[in-house]
Amino acid sequence: MSFTLHDYVLSGNCYKVRLLAQILGVAYTVKPVDFHPGKAHKTPEFLALNPHGTLPVLESDNTLLTDSSAMLVWIAQQFDTTHTWWPTNDAHRLALTVQWLGFSAKLTESIGQLRLHTMLNRPADAATLNTLSTENLRELENHLCEQSIRGLAFLTGDQPTVADIACFAYSALSPDAGIEHTLYPAIRGWLHRIRCLEGFLTMPGIYEAHETRNEHTAAS
Amino acid sequence: MNAALEHALQDWYPIAMLGELAPGERKQSRVLGIDVTVLANDSADETDSTPPITVRAEGAPVHVQQAFDHWWVCLGNAPKPLFSIEEAGEADRRFVPCGVVRVACSPLRAVENFLDIAHFPFVHTGVLGAEPHTEVYKYDVKVDETRDEVIATNIKFYQPQAAKSAEGGIQTEYIYRVPAPMAAVLYKTCPLKPEAMDVIALFVQPLDEQTCDVWPWMALYDDTSTQAELIQFQQLIFLQDRSILENQLPKKLPIDPGHEIPTKADYTSVAYRRWLKKRGAYYGALEAQP
Amino acid sequence: MTTQPVSLSRDLAEKQVMRAELSDVDMAVWRSASGVVSAWENRCPHRGMRLSHGFVRGESLACAYHGWHYNCEGACHYIPAHPELEPPKTIKANLYNVTEASGIIWVNAVGTVSPVTLPSNTQAVRSVSVHCSLEIAAQAFKDYCSLSPITANTRTEVVSESPYVLALKAPLPANSPTPSMQDKSNPVSVFIALQRVNQTTTVAHITASEHASETDCIALSRWANKVRTHAEVSVGSTE
Ligand SMILES: N[C@@H](CCC(=O)N[C@@H](CS)C(=O)NCC(=O)O)C(=O)O
Ligand code: FES
Ligand SMILES: [Fe+2]
Repeated sequence: MSFTLHDYVLSGNCYKVRLLAQILGVAYTVKPVDFHPGKAHKTPEFLALNPHGTLPVLESDNTLLTDSSAMLVWIAQQFDTTHTWWPTNDAHRLALTVQWLGFSAKLTESIGQLRLHTMLNRPADAATLNTLSTENLRELENHLCEQSIRGLAFLTGDQPTVADIACFAYSALSPDAGIEHTLYPAIRGWLHRIRCLEGFLTMPGIYEAHETRNEHTAAS
Repeated sequence: MNAALEHALQDWYPIAMLGELAPGERKQSRVLGIDVTVLANDSADETDSTPPITVRAEGAPVHVQQAFDHWWVCLGNAPKPLFSIEEAGEADRRFVPCGVVRVACSPLRAVENFLDIAHFPFVHTGVLGAEPHTEVYKYDVKVDETRDEVIATNIKFYQPQAAKSAEGGIQTEYIYRVPAPMAAVLYKTCPLKPEAMDVIALFVQPLDEQTCDVWPWMALYDDTSTQAELIQFQQLIFLQDRSILENQLPKKLPIDPGHEIPTKADYTSVAYRRWLKKRGAYYGALEAQP
Repeated sequence: MTTQPVSLSRDLAEKQVMRAELSDVDMAVWRSASGVVSAWENRCPHRGMRLSHGFVRGESLACAYHGWHYNCEGACHYIPAHPELEPPKTIKANLYNVTEASGIIWVNAVGTVSPVTLPSNTQAVRSVSVHCSLEIAAQAFKDYCSLSPITANTRTEVVSESPYVLALKAPLPANSPTPSMQDKSNPVSVFIALQRVNQTTTVAHITASEHASETDCIALSRWANKVRTHAEVSVGSTE
């Protein structure tokens, strides 16, 4: 079943949904909402659709979702015939996936907020958000270090799940908020593995893996 | 006060979009390192002579005017005239102020990037450019003496999606103008009206020499896209540039030749740097004023 | 200036580029498709873009901004805006001396590179960044050998140290199910190579004996995280 995504091009949470849909080859309709500068997500019309006043919003015939993690689950469960993105037949991995989906919300609240402040002048307590962002990135780095010692490439095992998508967005976008990846080697490797996935989609701040293109044969 | 600042103080800079602040609302900002407050006045009735907004720097009101859907300020005592964009008066265009974006870079680097086409295939991949269409063909650059502006013409570049309204790749034509040290205007092929050109401008508010607030503005022929679609197309492009601009070293723009290596594709940038030097516009530049 | 570590070899795979800072020198470190490692000043000669944001194609590093390609000697050999042009020889990236030894990438930004000699039969554990000076970080790792051993009932001993490297002998968990731990005659050695990013940031690159097990390495990784907290608390309390 197809859907409409109420979308903002610079939103990390909207990007999660676009990214998974692209990887799974799901077609959908985009409805841009003037988040900045228009604050259209705080207008009465929009609040009637989503009382939280947040993006993204996913609408289909029988569903209305206002949380990006829920949208990822909804899309994976319907369109991923391999059942790896939402691994319902593996209790352990499914549970870990839910755990890291929960963690992804902490990234939105720290890095996501700091990014709106740094990039779009949204008033915020930058020092506190900066501390929180660092704490969260360190937690992710610690986990990914252990995964790499175990020989596992992704958050919950050897294959990516919706949790990788959910945590990818704001980890990858942290430089927009002034936090570089230099001090996070395990995160860097993991971000790169996700960027190299078949069907990967970019957004501003997250470039195409140009290195996967063919080598230029020198002109001389 | 140093000469670079004294020079920059006589120019106009955007500070807010029209209608951005509700009556009575106030915001803090900064221009050329000076704190300013912007207050939208409550004008009680039509006959009231209070201006719609008041901007104060260190307590004293500064010059304010409105143009191109923005409020502009000048903090100097001898303001130069604000440049003009004739297309702003064409009623059949869509005017699209795109909102502010903060960038940790020199205001001059922000302008120079806007004049550059060679980065399209790498920074705006699949939209404004794509490999293997990377070649920059010869184009013309001059300083228009009567308007005292840098002008680049006869620029052609292949673009996969030149505008929100474009269907598939087209060979796009560009003209660039630099009418003030911290503003740039481009004219490009309009996909929906081939005989006309879309106008896109970058108005830069220098917070200090290494930080700026950038206010993109467009005047387009497009009766199919929504306002949100047009704004987001522009934000998509500009936020790709932001990641570049925050990573150029040195942070301030080297105006004198020798620090960086231009090629033929960079003639506009070379002309811009020369023009800045000639008029003494050193605010945001690496070199101290000679 | 001395030779310092910038990364574990494991963390810079083929066709990858990363940023590293060494005593405030900003550099791009990259590995070509065939495995050659280079460390360059982090500035593209064209318009100053950090080369660490670029991308590797084959044996070249390309700049993210306009795609200029540089070969392993730092020479620019392709300018996409002028595909037919042979770039002048004068367009060159600024190179630093770099080498790989004992699973670590070492750089000297001003002189010849001479890494501290470590055993070659080690495995990568992790790199951990600490917000404190190199001296405080080194002290914290030493303190923690005795104060809070890697696991209960064991003591870790510092066997050698130089300004940038600590070698520790770490008998890992006594109750560990792994054979390596029960083998008292062949304890796990741990090597910590320290990188001075700047006055307030240090990175510890940690490797261990080849025979350390997965469990050992995970214990070490968690231990390193605890040492970081300890070091940063001690900085916080003196500020
Ligand atoms: N739990 C929601 C949170 C969504 C969220 O915070 N979205 C941001 C944009 S990325 C938003 O709409 N913020 C509203 C605001 O900041 O005004 C989700 O994950 O979808
Ligand atoms: S700045 Fe590197 S190619 Fe232009
Ligand atoms: Fe651009």
